[in-house]
This record gives sequence, structure tokens and C-alpha cells, in this order.
Amino acid sequence: MYCIETTHLSHQFAPGKNILDDINLQVPTGSIYGFLGPNGAGKTTTLRLILGLLKKQKGEIRIFGQSLAQNRVAILRKLGSLIETPSLYGHLTAAENLLLLQKIYQCPKSRVPEVLELVGLPDTANKKVSQFSLGMKQRLSIAVALLNQPELLILDEPTNGLDPNGIIEMRELLKRLNQERGITILISSHLLAEIEKLVTHVGIIHKGQLLFEGTLPDLVHKQQESSRVSLVTNDNTRSLQLLQTLQPNAQQQNGKLLLPLLPPEQIAQLNRHLVQNDIDVYHLAVEKNDLESIFMELVKN
Amino acid sequence: MATILFNSIQSEWMKTKRSAAFWLVLIGGFFIPGILTLMYMVYIKRLGAIYSAEKFWEKWLINGWESMSIFLLPMGIVLATSLIAQLEYKNNGWKQVHTTPQSLTTVFVAKYTVVLLLMLQLFVLFGLGMYLAGAIPAWYYGHIPYPKETFPWGRFIQINASFYVMALPIVALQFLLSLQFKNFMVSLGAGVGLVVASIMVLSWRYVYLVPYTYGAIHMLQLQGKMRFKSNILDIHYLALIYFIGFTLLSYILYLTKKEKG
Repeated sequence: MYCIETTHLSHQFAPGKNILDDINLQVPTGSIYGFLGPNGAGKTTTLRLILGLLKKQKGEIRIFGQSLAQNRVAILRKLGSLIETPSLYGHLTAAENLLLLQKIYQCPKSRVPEVLELVGLPDTANKKVSQFSLGMKQRLSIAVALLNQPELLILDEPTNGLDPNGIIEMRELLKRLNQERGITILISSHLLAEIEKLVTHVGIIHKGQLLFEGTLPDLVHKQQESSRVSLVTNDNTRSLQLLQTLQPNAQQQNGKLLLPLLPPEQIAQLNRHLVQNDIDVYHLAVEKNDLESIFMELVKN
Repeated sequence: MATILFNSIQSEWMKTKRSAAFWLVLIGGFFIPGILTLMYMVYIKRLGAIYSAEKFWEKWLINGWESMSIFLLPMGIVLATSLIAQLEYKNNGWKQVHTTPQSLTTVFVAKYTVVLLLMLQLFVLFGLGMYLAGAIPAWYYGHIPYPKETFPWGRFIQINASFYVMALPIVALQFLLSLQFKNFMVSLGAGVGLVVASIMVLSWRYVYLVPYTYGAIHMLQLQGKMRFKSNILDIHYLALIYFIGFTLLSYILYLTKKEKG
């Protein structure tokens, strides 16, 4: 069951220039879905379409199994969001900002101190938002998104403006909300490192196209696939000939000999083979691509 | 449906608390009465003659409207209406408003109701201010005989209500402009331009076609100084027709807007 599902979603701001091109997003219920892509990739446009902030041009959006076009109000009742910069009224206090939404959601007033506590702003209820730092505004925006006890949270780069400690706290909060309350979270970011410790699923978008979608283990598997064994010897040309007798995939690149990732026993065997043929091995290592490199590789290709 | 709309209006009303529009209405409502109070506190000798005149209160109110209707009221409406919509643009609020579980119609009606209520507040404060401006000097200088006639509440409300109707086309067009344009200067500039233009066309034969002049026309009608008569409809009906027309246009443009935050 998918909490969010888009089918053939495309969007243009100017004729002939696709900002989104055939996006088929599938966010499983109960997951924390990291929506990744560099700046300008189309993340915010996708999220704005999912929230109905942009008029849909092509494709279909289903949330909680219902069509957004036909059930907008019912869907929004079960959803909390934060898109780009915080939407807060600077001349009102933190509590007043929450109370004016409490009127609309008709949730208990006790939710106001609860969510302020939850995001680490318990003593700021009567402080004007214009006096808040960007990080505090970001936290208050999360409080706003949580006010109606949503089943789905859509957060567009929520860690913007937060200090490293704030980022860790935010990560822990989102994990807790997901695990304890079963809230599905769709979170966008341009930094994989920032969300890889948080997400269960990943979607990578670049230039309006979804390049990868799957679980985090899928992405880790991709990472392992691209890991290699590298060697440097006193005679790389002869070493390559020797290695190719055992591993036909061996190749020479930038002064290094490269082989696909092998089990440790086979790596030891290759080393022994070289040494027995009077080759001095200066360097032998497994080169692991981190997830960030995979992300960059996907984006570059 | 009614409950949802009521909650939405309450929520929109809360946003005006301590806002620039709130202060503008408060100060705007008491501005002319405040000046008149000060004036008669200083020139107390004139007050005795004015108090003893027939239909003092009506003349007193029209005197206030004379200062208010041509320039200050339209300018106040232009500013206050633009500031209400600007609350959302300035605070990135539209995307929050449009992701709450409300239909677009509810959002539009709630926001528009708040603008109309704020304008009503301006008129109520002005009326109250004019009453106080007439009464305070007499209360302060006990030796001046207070107007003998009983306070004409009915006529007072009628005159104020008439001016409110005259103001409605400006409210509607300014609301339309401020919803459509993110840049505050567009709605403000257009509003100021139209107010200035309306003063210039006051002696034009077809002045009834320009809704921004209706407050001034009504003022001149009350004083018996209006040169031309409307040969189409009574000015109240014209004002309501413009108001309904601009409101419908505003609603359609709002619904069909491609980007909602």
C-alpha cells in the first residue's frame, strides 16, 4: 500500500521545458522516504504538486489511496507539511500562530503546548515569531505541521537553518514520530549524508527525472556493486597480465589496477599470485563508494 | 459547512491582531474625530453656536465625512485591504493556508469577510469617534450648553451605512488586486492612482462610471452640491453592482490561479 503515488507526473512552467518528466513516485505507508536531488532538480515542484499548491498539468496523484483532485480537503485533513521557508506570521506569538490553525483543524487547544514541547520550544509560546532565529522558525514550522496529528508529513528541506545539534534532534524526532506513531514521512534534501541515517526509502531526482527509487538497502546494494579492489605494484603492466589470467575483468586506470569487489579469500589469493611472480605490491585496498558518491554518480550520468 | 466557514473567519481574524492593518483601522477611525475634538477644545467659543444649531448631530457627522470621504477614506481602504492580503505574501503564508483542509471558496470567503469586517470596524470607530468628538468638549467645559436634540441614532447609522456601501467597490477592487499581485506596490500604486484620478474626474459628466468617486459624490449629494445627477441608477445601486462584479471577478481569478503558494 502506497501512502503517496504519482503516475506519469509531468510539469512545465514554460512551453516545451519540462520541469518534471514522467515522475512515478511510490511512497510506502509507514516509511521515511528521502526525496533527493541537487538544487533545481524538481523536488519542490513535485512536493508542491502533491500538496495541490501547483495546478496539475499531466499525470495522476493519489494520497492515502485517494485521488488528490477529487478528495483534496479530506486528504489535507490527515496531512502536515513544511515547504521551503517557514510560513509563520511574524507579528503573532508562537502560540497564536498555532492557535489560528487549531481553529481550522479543530484539534484540542492542549495540542499547542504539546507540539511546542515536542519540537523543543516549550518556553517560547508568548514570544513574537519576528524575534525567532531561522532555526527556531524551522522548529515552529514542524510544530505547525504536527498540530493536527497527521498520518503523513511532507517536509521540504526541513533542516535548513538548523545547527548540527538541531539537525540531530530533528532526525531523532522524525524517527520517533515514524516509529511510535506510524507517521509516513516524505522528506526532501539535496544532501544524502544528511538523511541517510533517517530514511528507509530513497528517491533520487535530477533534471526532472526520477533516476532511482527503492529501499535504502537497494541503494546500499548499488553501492556494493560499484565497490572495487585497487592495487599498485612495481610493474602494473605485467601485474595486469597476471591478474587477467585469474580475473578477466581486471583493468588499468590512472596508475592503478582495478578489479570488481571480491571475497577476502580471493583477494589474498591474487596477492599471493603476484608475490610468487616477483611482483612487489605497494598498495592493496577495497575502494568503497559511499552513498554520496553513488548519488553523485547517478546525477552525473 | 457554516461551522468550517466560521472557524476559518475566526482564524483569519486572529491574523489581523497587532497587524499593520489593525493599527491603520484603529488610528484611521479616530483620526478626523481626534482632530475635530482638539480643534473645538481650542476654539471653544465657536462651539456654543454650533451646538445650538438645528440638526446639530447630523451636520456634525456630515462635517466629519467631508474631511474623510474624498481622500482619507479611499486611501485608508486601499492601504488596509492591501495589507490584509500582504500578510500572507510577507509571511509566506499562502502555502500554509492552501494546505489546510479548507476549500478554496472557504479561504476566499473567510479572508474577504475579514476585510469587510475590518472596514466595518473603521466605520464604527469613526462614528463613535464623531460622537465623542461632539460630546467631549461639552463634557470638558461644563458651562457650554449641550445640544438639546436627542442623539439621532437612526440617522447616524443610516449616513454611516450609506458611506460604507459607497466604499464597497473600492474594497472589492483592492482585494482583487492584492490577491493577484505579490508585490504590495502594485495594489497600493494602482489604488493611490485611482484615488487621485477619482478626485480629478469629480466634475466630469460621466463621473458615475468611476466607483472610486462614490464616497465623494455621496458627500456632495448630502450637501446638495453635486452638479450632475446619475441618469442610470441611484448611486447606492451602482456601488453594489460594482461591488458584486469586482467580487465575482476576484473569486474567479483566485480559483483559477495556477500557483497557490
